[in-house]
Amino acid sequence: MSATIETAGLTRSYGDICALKPIDLQVPQGEWLSVMGHSGSGKSTLMNLLGGLDRPTGGALSVGGQDLLALAEDGLARFRREYVGIIFQQHHLVPYLSALENVMMAQYFHSVPDEAEARLALERVGLGHRLKNRPSELSGGEQQRVCIARAIINSPKLLLGDEPTGNLDHKSTIMVMELLRELRAEERFTIIMVTHNQDVAAWGDRTIYLDDGVLVREERMGA
Amino acid sequence: MLAAAVKLVPQLLCFAGIVLVLLRGLHARRSTVIAGVGCGFLLGTAATLVLFRTVAAAASLAVIRDVIGAAFLLLCGVAVASLYLSTGRAATEPPSGGFLRGAVPVGAGALLAGFVSAAICASRLPDVAAGAVPAALILVVAAAALIVAASALEKLLPASFTASPASLAAAVVALLLFSSSSIIRLDLFSPLTMKVMKFTHDFVHQFFESMLIPDHLFIRSYLWGYIGLFFGKEVGFWGGMVIWFAPALLILLAVRLEPLPMVSHIRQGAQRRRLLAEAIRNRRLKLVLPLIATLLLGGAIYKSRFPSVEYWDPKPVAVTPAASGEIFIPRKGEIELEDGRLHKYLLKQGGREVRFFVLMTPAGKLTVDLDACAICKPDGYGQAEGTVICYYCKTLIPLETVGKPGGCNPVPVQFTEKPDGVHLDSVALANLWSSTVQSTTKVKEGGK
Repeated sequence: MSATIETAGLTRSYGDICALKPIDLQVPQGEWLSVMGHSGSGKSTLMNLLGGLDRPTGGALSVGGQDLLALAEDGLARFRREYVGIIFQQHHLVPYLSALENVMMAQYFHSVPDEAEARLALERVGLGHRLKNRPSELSGGEQQRVCIARAIINSPKLLLGDEPTGNLDHKSTIMVMELLRELRAEERFTIIMVTHNQDVAAWGDRTIYLDDGVLVREERMGA
Repeated sequence: MLAAAVKLVPQLLCFAGIVLVLLRGLHARRSTVIAGVGCGFLLGTAATLVLFRTVAAAASLAVIRDVIGAAFLLLCGVAVASLYLSTGRAATEPPSGGFLRGAVPVGAGALLAGFVSAAICASRLPDVAAGAVPAALILVVAAAALIVAASALEKLLPASFTASPASLAAAVVALLLFSSSSIIRLDLFSPLTMKVMKFTHDFVHQFFESMLIPDHLFIRSYLWGYIGLFFGKEVGFWGGMVIWFAPALLILLAVRLEPLPMVSHIRQGAQRRRLLAEAIRNRRLKLVLPLIATLLLGGAIYKSRFPSVEYWDPKPVAVTPAASGEIFIPRKGEIELEDGRLHKYLLKQGGREVRFFVLMTPAGKLTVDLDACAICKPDGYGQAEGTVICYYCKTLIPLETVGKPGGCNPVPVQFTEKPDGVHLDSVALANLWSSTVQSTTKVKEGGK
């Protein structure tokens, strides 16, 4: 299995503050990696760097064979558009668009909208009956499932989750995790999920622990 | 010299534009395009100098204008063909598409474009008829510098910006038409509107004459007032506009109708949509050149309506007939009739105003003509560089033919030439104006 993500001495500093100290990491294609750590430990910083949302201040970073540091802004935007899907804790759905339109908007920014395909994606996440509903008319779990449909609609190779279940109750969390597992089995994308929740992290293949920007521990699930 | 150089700036910029679009549209044949366009410009400049030295200036310009006209007709053909091919009759690029990008057609096209561009530029050189060799050499050097500049600029254009052969043809021909539009005797739009106007006039006139409308039992003669709408300059202008813009618009339509690639066999939706989006983006980029061509053609019309040539247009001098009705215009005096210039006069008689002019033709013969023809509204004539121009339809009439009747020529007036000057009959003059000008054109206004 080829390594999808490879970092060597990956660093991110904000002035004098070093948010991420040199990290060497390899994430094989199709792996579900959970990232844990307390607030300010550098979890989101690491995730943003891996997804091309931010640029490192040092080290090397290769995703799917592409050297992200060598990409110009438009190249990085293309990488994000075609390679990455993101699920946030705050859903960031457009409030005045329906669930279907929110998914189609992601298609629009990727290439061209296709209503039938967007409808199918929402049916896959179990929202075939809520296509025309706006985010305010959906529960938290349903909104997060719209986010998942939006994130996978462009067939990303890398799915990033920034505490995607942080706002959900236990039942909805289980539902979302099961959905992600099913989708990963079908689509074979890599998942990197930042979480505070040990139970959620346990859904992954491997968990890494960060503390003050340093990778302190690694744990393989089921090992 | 500086003024002459400034006058050539639009034409040289158009030449640079032609090189730029040719290089981009045929970037696989860069060296062929550069060689072709360069050699074409050199040959075109030399050929124009030879042409002007061997043939009269008016005839030389007519030759160049005919070549530009042929290019426009060719573009019309290309536009129709591209529309035919874009409607799905050919699923892939037609065989000619590959052929057109071969070295020989590319070289020939570039050579021709350079040749015509040079002819347009060289015709603006001062003293071209006398063989302005130093000026021509400077022109060729300037063209070479522009080829280098265009080649450098082309490399800065985004790689995704491409052009179909039809779009390329539209842009090149539009640049040639724009380039020639400010040279009154190379301008194509005004003669085109004239042709349309005359065709409409003749067709409508014959058609309604054959229906005997004025004498028809049920159709009253006042209908001529409405039928007369077809005889105006506006019909020529709008009809000319339709013909003028048709090729570029057809090519725009052809690009818009180009079928998108078949993607239904691709399983993954994102990949399918990405391919579609790329095809749509490429199609949009292909619209750029025909759109630019449309704008240039619009610009050519604007320049055609406001030609850069200044006309000799003297204010008519009022004349009063003697008791016998004779008008006498002295040969010499305040106005020199033999100076080769147009001299206008105004006769006011019985509430009517009759304008006429006296001119000495290049053959050395005096001629007296109405300041109007039998076809157009009587807007009158101006004079410039060996011609008189009808202000209404912008038709240029060589000075040699002034005094001869028919067509757009000023209506000749009977007169007697004596050693002291020109003598003519005021009554006959007024009757001639009434019978030929106003009755034919059905207008009330008295011209300029």
